Amino acid sequence: MGGQLSKMMGKIFGSKEMRLLMLGLDAAGKTTILYKLKLGQDVTTIPTVGFNVETVTYKNVKFNVWDVGGQDKIRPLWRHYFSGTQGLIFVIDSSDRQRIEEARQELHRIINDREMKDSLLLVFANKQDVKDGMSYYYTSAGLTCAELRSLTIVKAMKPQEVTEALQLSKLKDKIWYVVPSCATTGEGLLEGLAWLSNNVKAPPAPVKK
Amino acid sequence: MASTQTARPYLTRTNTNQSFANGSSSGLGVGGNQRTSLSSSSRSNSASGVSPPSRSFHSPQPATIEADRMSHPSSNSKTSSLASHTVVSEDSSLSILARSHPMSKSPRKLRSQYPRESSENHVEYILVASFDIDRGPVMEHQFPVAITGDEHMLAELMLPDQAHARNQDWTIFFLHKDQNQEEEEQEQKQKEARRRRRKRRRDRQAGISNDGGNPTDDEIDSQEDDDDRDEDENDDRDDEDSTDDEPEGGEGPPLIYVLNLVYTKHDKTVKRGAVVKAMAICTRHPFLHIYKPLLLLALEEYFKSPVPETLSMLYDAVNEMDLSLMPKLSLLEKYLLQSSDNKDLFVEKFERMVQKRIAEDGADSVAAPFDASKSPPKLQGISRAGTKAYLENQTAYSVPRDTHEFESKIMYKGIPIPVKIPTAIMPETVGDFSLVKLIQNFSDPHAKSMQPFALHPHLTTNGPGTHPIVVLTNALLTQKRIIFLGHNMPSGDVAEAVLAACALASGGLLRGFTRFAFPYTDLTKIDDLLKVPGFIAGVTNPTFEMHPEWWDLLCDLPSGRMKISSKIEQAPVTEGLVYFQQQNPTYASQLGGSSSTATDLTGDVVFMNDILKSIAARHGERVIRAKWRDWVLRFTRIAAAFEESVYGVSALHVGGDEHEQITGGHGFVWADDTAKQKELAGNVYRIEGWRNTRSYYSFIQDLAQIYTLRPLKGLDLHHMHDRLRTQRLTAAQSRDVYLSFAKWVWSYDEICLLLTVAPESHAGLFYLALGLFHKDRDVRVKTAELLGRVAEHEAGQHWWKSLSRYQKLAFHRIRREGADVTTTDAKRNAGSGKEGEPVVDVRRS
Repeated sequence: MGGQLSKMMGKIFGSKEMRLLMLGLDAAGKTTILYKLKLGQDVTTIPTVGFNVETVTYKNVKFNVWDVGGQDKIRPLWRHYFSGTQGLIFVIDSSDRQRIEEARQELHRIINDREMKDSLLLVFANKQDVKDGMSYYYTSAGLTCAELRSLTIVKAMKPQEVTEALQLSKLKDKIWYVVPSCATTGEGLLEGLAWLSNNVKAPPAPVKK
Repeated sequence: MASTQTARPYLTRTNTNQSFANGSSSGLGVGGNQRTSLSSSSRSNSASGVSPPSRSFHSPQPATIEADRMSHPSSNSKTSSLASHTVVSEDSSLSILARSHPMSKSPRKLRSQYPRESSENHVEYILVASFDIDRGPVMEHQFPVAITGDEHMLAELMLPDQAHARNQDWTIFFLHKDQNQEEEEQEQKQKEARRRRRKRRRDRQAGISNDGGNPTDDEIDSQEDDDDRDEDENDDRDDEDSTDDEPEGGEGPPLIYVLNLVYTKHDKTVKRGAVVKAMAICTRHPFLHIYKPLLLLALEEYFKSPVPETLSMLYDAVNEMDLSLMPKLSLLEKYLLQSSDNKDLFVEKFERMVQKRIAEDGADSVAAPFDASKSPPKLQGISRAGTKAYLENQTAYSVPRDTHEFESKIMYKGIPIPVKIPTAIMPETVGDFSLVKLIQNFSDPHAKSMQPFALHPHLTTNGPGTHPIVVLTNALLTQKRIIFLGHNMPSGDVAEAVLAACALASGGLLRGFTRFAFPYTDLTKIDDLLKVPGFIAGVTNPTFEMHPEWWDLLCDLPSGRMKISSKIEQAPVTEGLVYFQQQNPTYASQLGGSSSTATDLTGDVVFMNDILKSIAARHGERVIRAKWRDWVLRFTRIAAAFEESVYGVSALHVGGDEHEQITGGHGFVWADDTAKQKELAGNVYRIEGWRNTRSYYSFIQDLAQIYTLRPLKGLDLHHMHDRLRTQRLTAAQSRDVYLSFAKWVWSYDEICLLLTVAPESHAGLFYLALGLFHKDRDVRVKTAELLGRVAEHEAGQHWWKSLSRYQKLAFHRIRREGADVTTTDAKRNAGSGKEGEPVVDVRRS
């Protein structure tokens, strides 16, 4: 009954559901983004064993966000989450220039999969506030973005830089967008969601609950 | 004898399978062969009044037993009935504890399930894994040696999905570890060492003729074990642990059961804020849940000192657990204990184990030979655990409060941790689960608002409104791919549901579920999982729901709903189905739950209502398990009847037909033919679905194997008892049935078998005792004799006790009358000290 009613309400008010998959290298900030979106606050996260999944509602859109652990040994499991995904959120640690090439390879492997061909691609150029290679240690030490910003010596990669490093312009038939973000402050996150909901293709696959 | 018998059933199995392939008509001939070949090995010689040669007794009173045996077949002779009668009455005067009647106790030597001398460890490996922030799951330590196989795969299983989201989680998983050659050689060596030891002992006994005053025939090797009817309880130092009376394994080497505990400890001082570590105990015992408190302590310890010594300390502690006083039960005894709620059943065995141990201890310290036949061991040292006497005396040995569980303790770092080990473990019962919980989980949402299932003839046997638990059972029986999903649940809860499901469909009878169960698994194993035809898996990752191509039935634990996959393979049209439809055109249209079957052809609606009522009345787990066991047994018997009616012969029926003239057939009994056709119609699809599954084939194997060990071959006690229970028999028919019971059921094992077909939950001896009121005097006397034997029996005494007062009175009246007819001497015997003391008093007053 309850489900029926909300479906009806959904029709009247035009709310929709969207299945999102959030991937990226380990320690890129996926889980922090997820819980910033879900709870609106900065939570201290620990490495994800397996996955997290949460429903986030923003502007009448119900986002089912899957956040999957990023250690290299468990990346082969990502493919099991592909089917039914309407939007891929790929999270980059913009301060980690050393692993940007690794990130590019992983990203291309994902979006070349047949099951991901209709999916939108949103890249969060995360950790805009952190000095190169140091993000890891400072965030785990519990410093805030503001504190980190003051420590910045070498600036994080800018969106343009990330676009180039990930070779996004090479992508054909793919709708993509890069947003600079800071998960701990929430900067850029809602902009990303808004872009996804505006660009999702008309009838979204019904997400069974 | 034993060797030839074991060969036969396998042979006949292949025969019958062939006949199925050929069709129904040709099956008859083969079936005939099967019967004759098997009946030749059954006890056909008893009919001639000569006791089987294999039954040589070494008991204190062999002459009486032989006379007893010889007398009963010629049941009309007065002298013989007197002879057997007096034997029974003499014995009845003995106290319960000091029974020496050959029928009261198992003729088998009482052995320990886990003898002290056994080289087999309780726990084989201890493992520790952790979640490395760069690499993911890694194995840290393994003790005593590295377990063979994929170490990385193990580490993944030890760190379940979302372990980061909770502080603590349990998982269970199984390893299919094949024995490698090295281990086999080692085992061979151990066996030889045992054999040498045994030989030494024999030599010693032969040399010192008066050793213990009781020179005994020791087992020479495993084959003779069965024939060894040595009653002598003092034969200690028995390290005979290599032989098993009953089939245990089924397919392949036993599984390794792994109980795993994972801790997530938040720690600001470490990189990325947390440490995730898991410790696992690997054992071949199915009661792995007893180790839970130890893992909690040991993993805590490991966080403090992450070194191999922490593992070795746990390893030593668990392997020092002493279970040597836990008696070993035969298969029939296990069935009886499992289906009974009686806390005293087989308590005598525990007592005898303790007596034996006290005798051993005495012999060790005094070095004086112990002789129980002259001075029975004192019982002072033994008391029931938890009783006042036990607490006051603080004795070294005790008998458990409830014979279903053996109480022991594990010393870990100087702390005694109490553990309870189930005495009778049925196949496919692993860990600590609750059928009640599983049934309730899926019944409540179904009762509140029924969601119709997508129809599948194997699964929805009562149409779209089939009870989910029945759908699950059908899915298990027809070997579907089943997933239990528990998103946001501890993986331990998911594992528990999987284990419960295995036990549900097995009922302790069928096998092949746990071996293909994955109590906890995750996406990392999906490729391997999908190679398994038919599995039961527990997962916490809701991604599985998005992949209906991975499963046939999805059981969502949080919502309590089940879903049949849209991609499930359709049920094939089988020969049996077609034959049945041709034979029974009236039911053809109703088959497969396609119509909105309002009629409950299978009887499952009634059954589920009964189960739910039982749960609501808090009858407890044991009662529910016993009911499911009955359901499974009933299903297999219906399947046998179905095969016989459609294919002409059934591999599910092993036995001769020599007695069928008297007992009126074999197998399941229906009140009438319409009832039979209805029930078969309701079951056609799932029986046909079951017929080429692993559990079906292993059941056939088990039946054949059990048949070779079973007493009373060729006589279907179950069928006979069912006729008394369900059919309206003429006086002549029931006379035959009662007299056959009285004629054949004598020995310890035979009475055990009788008790299994008349469980306490199904009115116990009630239907048998009705024979006390038969109009034929001979039937009344014989039934009374039979009941007398049952009352003397170690297990039967409990059945006797729950008999109604009215029936007990009738029993005593008949015994008295019987005595009157013979002599005054016998009368005095019969009148004095019968087992039902209060009843005796009533009669006298």
